[in-house]
Amino acid sequence: MSAPKKYDALVVGSGIGGMESALKLGDMGYKVLIVEKEPSVGGKMILLSKVFPTLDCASCISTPKMGATIHHPNIDVLTYAEVEGIRGDGDGGYHAKIKQKAKFVDEAACTGCRQCEMACNVAVPDEYNADMVSRRAAFIAFPQAVPKKAVISREGVSPCTYECPAGIKAHGYVARVRSGQYDQAFDLVLETTPLVGSLGRACYAPCEGECTRGELEGPLPIRRLKRFIADRRYGQAAGSASETNGGGAAAGTLEKPEQNGKKVAVVGSGPAGLTAAWQLARKGYGVKIFEAAPQAGGMLRLGIPAYRLPNDVIDDDIRNVTAIGVEIETDARVGDVAALKDDGFDAVLMATGTHKAVSLRVPGEALDGIQSALTFLADVKLGKTVDLAGKQVLVVGGGNVAIDAARTARRLGAAAVHQASLECCEDMPAHDFEVEEAKAEGITLHDGWGVNHFTGSGRVQSAELKVCSCVFNPEGKFAPEYDESKKQTVACDVVIIAAGMGADTEAFGLETNGNRTLKADPGTLQTSVPHVFAAGDVVTGPTMITTAVGQGRRAAFMIDRYLTGAALDIGAFDEHLPVADKSNVLARQDVYDRREPLESHAAMSASPTDFNETEATLTEDEAFLGAARCLDCGICSECHACVDACPADAIKLDMQPQEIEVDVDAVVLATGFRLFPADAKPEYGYGRFKNVITGMQMDRLLAPTRPFNAVVRPGDGKVPDRIGFIMCTGSRDAQVGNPLCSRICCMYSVKHNQLIMGALPLADVTVHYMDVRAVGKGYDEFYQQAKDMGSMFIKGRVAKITEKDDGDLVVRYEDIEGDGGIVEAEYDMVVLAVGVQPNTEAAKLFEDGALGLDEYFYVGEADEDLDPGRTNMPGVFVAGSASGVKDIPDSILHAGAAVAQAAAHIEKARVANGTVTPEAAKVEVTA
Amino acid sequence: MTEAAAPEGQPYDPRILVFSTNNISDPGIDLAGSSHMHYSPRVMVINLPCTSAVKPGWIVYAMEQGFDGVFIAADGEECAYLPDCAQRTSGIMQTAQDLLVEKGFEPQRVRMAAICSVCAEPFTKYMHEYATALSGLGPSRKATS
Repeated sequence: MSAPKKYDALVVGSGIGGMESALKLGDMGYKVLIVEKEPSVGGKMILLSKVFPTLDCASCISTPKMGATIHHPNIDVLTYAEVEGIRGDGDGGYHAKIKQKAKFVDEAACTGCRQCEMACNVAVPDEYNADMVSRRAAFIAFPQAVPKKAVISREGVSPCTYECPAGIKAHGYVARVRSGQYDQAFDLVLETTPLVGSLGRACYAPCEGECTRGELEGPLPIRRLKRFIADRRYGQAAGSASETNGGGAAAGTLEKPEQNGKKVAVVGSGPAGLTAAWQLARKGYGVKIFEAAPQAGGMLRLGIPAYRLPNDVIDDDIRNVTAIGVEIETDARVGDVAALKDDGFDAVLMATGTHKAVSLRVPGEALDGIQSALTFLADVKLGKTVDLAGKQVLVVGGGNVAIDAARTARRLGAAAVHQASLECCEDMPAHDFEVEEAKAEGITLHDGWGVNHFTGSGRVQSAELKVCSCVFNPEGKFAPEYDESKKQTVACDVVIIAAGMGADTEAFGLETNGNRTLKADPGTLQTSVPHVFAAGDVVTGPTMITTAVGQGRRAAFMIDRYLTGAALDIGAFDEHLPVADKSNVLARQDVYDRREPLESHAAMSASPTDFNETEATLTEDEAFLGAARCLDCGICSECHACVDACPADAIKLDMQPQEIEVDVDAVVLATGFRLFPADAKPEYGYGRFKNVITGMQMDRLLAPTRPFNAVVRPGDGKVPDRIGFIMCTGSRDAQVGNPLCSRICCMYSVKHNQLIMGALPLADVTVHYMDVRAVGKGYDEFYQQAKDMGSMFIKGRVAKITEKDDGDLVVRYEDIEGDGGIVEAEYDMVVLAVGVQPNTEAAKLFEDGALGLDEYFYVGEADEDLDPGRTNMPGVFVAGSASGVKDIPDSILHAGAAVAQAAAHIEKARVANGTVTPEAAKVEVTA
Repeated sequence: MTEAAAPEGQPYDPRILVFSTNNISDPGIDLAGSSHMHYSPRVMVINLPCTSAVKPGWIVYAMEQGFDGVFIAADGEECAYLPDCAQRTSGIMQTAQDLLVEKGFEPQRVRMAAICSVCAEPFTKYMHEYATALSGLGPSRKATS
C-alpha cells in the first residue's frame, strides 16, 4: 500500500454543513478531503421541497453548491465511502482510515445515462424518496445527484447463488424469468455450464434448501424455473432448426469462439467433463472429449433413468458443447494418460467419474440374476432389452441410485419390487421426496434390513435379510451392526445391488488415494503430473451433478491459468461477496404477503409402465408466479442485465471495497442529524396506518422531484382534502427520551401548509401544536402568512390516532383553548412533524470516549456560548447540526465558524512544526 | 442523427438543439423526462460542464446541419466553475447572433435562459414557446427545403 495521502483537512459528511466547510477551506487554499457515505453529495437539503421562510427551491440552491464542491480544485470528494476510524498521529495531526465501498460501476467510464437503472429488475425502497416508492438495485440516487454516476446496491451474494456448488447465478436467472427474459436467463446459466436442461430436471437443488422464502411459505421452485427456461429454449430451437445440423437445441445460436491454438484433452463426458470442455472451448482452446461409453453424458446418460432425465434433453445439452467446436469421441477408453501429451494435447483433464460398482461381500453374490445397479440402469438407458415382466425384484441399497433402480424395475414390468436399505426410512441417503415417490409407485421398502446371504442353485431364488441395528460407528464410519436374531426371507428372481460406487483409475498411471480416487490438489485440481488435472467424482468420490459441474468449472479455470502461465491462485476462482444474511433480508419488511408455493407436478402412478417424465414443465404463468416470490436477498441478483445494457462497459460486478488512509491536520465533523423514527410513538400508528406520514415524506411529496408528481396519500393514491399535522412528534417529549425542542419542525410544517395550499387550493390544513416557535428573521411573519392563507392551528397534544376502514384517520385530542373536552377530528392524511435526533455515528469515528458528547449525545462543543465549533479534541471541529439542531442558514454560519478555527489550527500546526512560515503556507487560490 | 427537416405532409415542427450544463440545467431537463412531462421529440440536448464553453461557430454549424434553433440552458449566477459564466455566455450569444446574421440566418435562432436543476416545467414551457416562435420563422434552411 502506498503512503497515506496528505490533506490539510478532512470533512466528514457532505450535507450543507459539510459542503460549506469544504468550500470555505478550499477557497482559503487548503487541500480538503470530503467523505460522504451516500452515492451523491448534498445530504438532506437536496431532498427537501423548499426552504423556509423564503420558499426558495432547495434543490435549485443546493445543486450549485454540490457542483462547486465536486469541481473545486482544492477539494477531493469520496462518495459512497465511510470513515472507519480517526486517531491522533501523536504529532497534533490525525490519521484517518476510510473505506471506499464498492460501487460496482467504473466511475470514469459511467456517463450517467441510466440505461442500467432501466434494465435492472430488482426493486428496493427508495430511501431518497423517504421509502414511498421503489428504486432499482442499479441506480442514480436522484436526478440532481453529484457525481451523476450509477451505483449498484449489493448486500452480499444471495443464499441460493452462494449455495450452488456449480456456481450458477440462481438469483440472477430467477430475476430474468420474473422479467420474462427467458433467453437471457438461459444464457446466464450457460455462463456456468452447458447442462441447463439436465440440471433443470435432475439437480437436487441445494439452492432451494437455502432460499430465504423457505422461512416463510416455502422456497422458490428454482430448479423447475431452470427446467422451464431450458425447455423453452430447446423447444423453440427445435421448431425452427431446419438449418442447424442435428436439428433442435439452442446450439444454432451459439457462436464459435476464436481459437487460441492450444489443445486440451478431457477424459470423460459427464457433468464435470462437459462443463470443463465448455468453459475451455469458450476461452478458445481446442477441446476433445474421450468417452469410454458408446454415448456421451457420463452418469447423466448412464445413471439417471429417463423418467427423470430423458436422453433427448442430454442430447440438447451436449449439442451446446459440440456447437462451439468441442469434439467428442465415444467408445474411446483412455489407457495411457501420459501418451495424450504426445498427441498434441497441452493439458489433460481426468473426469472419469465413479463407474465401478461396490460389491456387498455376502455369500451367494455371484449367483445368476444378481447384477449391479450401474449396469442395470445403463443398459436400460442405452436402449438394451431388459425384460423384467412378472419377475420378483429385490434392490439392495438406500441411496438415490437404489431408488432409481427400483423405480426403473417397476417400469419394466416387475411383478413386485422390494428394496432393502440398511438405514431406516428417515436416515436413508436418498432424498425424502424420492422415497415417497418410490413408495407411491408401489415399491415395498424394507428399511433397516441388510442382506445376510443369497440362496439359489445357479440362479438366485431368495435373499435372507437381517435387521441392521446400527449403520455407522460413533466416528461416523460405515460399520453396520446386525441383530442376527431377526431375519426374514424375500423371494426374488432378480437382485439389483446399489451398494455404492467407486473410481476406476488403475489404468491411468496417476497417483491415487486409498479409495482409488485420483489425488489432486483440492484447490487447483492439479495432479502430481503438472499438465494433468482431475475433476468431478473421480476426485471427490460420488457426489451430486452440481458439485461435479463446479469441479469442472474450477478445473477449466485452473487449466486456463496453467496454460497461460498465470499462477494457480485458488483465491482468484469465484471471488465473490459474503453471503447475504437471511435475518437481515427478512427484517427488511414488517409484513410479508402470503404467496403460495407452487405445488409439485409429479404425476404418480401406482404401477408405472413407461419412462415418460413424471414431472411436467412449468407453464409461463407458473414460472412467473414462482419467480416473482423472490425476496432479492442480495439485492443485486447478478443477472447481468445492467452489464448487457451499459453502453460504456462500466459495470464491474467483481469490484472490491478499498481501504484508503489519509493524514490530516484538522478534522471537521459534519455528520448531521437523524430524524426521529416515527414508529417509536406507536399511538400515532406510523408504519401501521398507511396515510400517516412523516414530515420528510411530505417534503418529498411536495418537492420538484416528487415521486407521484402530485400530493396524494400513500394508502390509496387519493388526493387528500383534509390534512392534519401533529407537531413535536419525538421532540419535547420525555417519554421518548428527547426533552429538546427540534427547532425546525414548526417552520417546516408551516412551509408544508403553504405549499399544500398552493398544490391543493381546496384542502383544509389543520395543525395540532404545543407552541409555535418562530424565532428568526421573517419566521413569525411566515407563520402569520400561513394562518392568513387559511391554516387552522389548534393548541393541544394529540393522544391517539385510529384508522377507519376507508383509510381515513381519527385524531383524538384535548381542546384546551376552545370549548374544552376530548375532541375527535377526522383527516384524510396525517403528517407527523418528526423531530431531530443526534447522529451518534460521529463518536464511533474515534476510539472509545475520545470525542466528548453533550448530555443529549450531540457532538459536544468546548463552550457552546463562547466557543462554538470546537470539540474537546484539539484539531477536531464540528460543523452544522452534528452539534445540535440547526436550520440551513444556521448550519452554514456554524460551518463558517468551525472552519475559521480549523484554518487557524492548520496554520498553527504548520508554524509549530517549523517547516513553514505563515506567509509561505499560503497556497495560491485558483478559481 | 440526420433526419429530414420536416416529415412529409406534416406541419412544420422545428428541430431545436439545446446546450445544457452537467450539474445544473441538465438535471432539470432530465427531470422533465423522468417526470414524463411532454416536450417535442425534435429537441436534442448536448451537455457541457459550463455554457461559457459554447463557441459561436457551433450555432451556425447547427443551422447548417439542419437545426432550426439553438437554446442555451445556462446556469444563471450559480455555475460551479465561473462566477461570471452567465455574463460570458451572453457575450457568446451576441457574437453568435452577429455571425448568424452574417450567414443569412435570423438572430432569433439562438436563445438563452437560466434553467435550474429542478426547472423541469420551465424548461418544457421554454421549449413550447421557442418552438412556436421558430415555427413563425420557418425552417432555417429555406433554400434547400
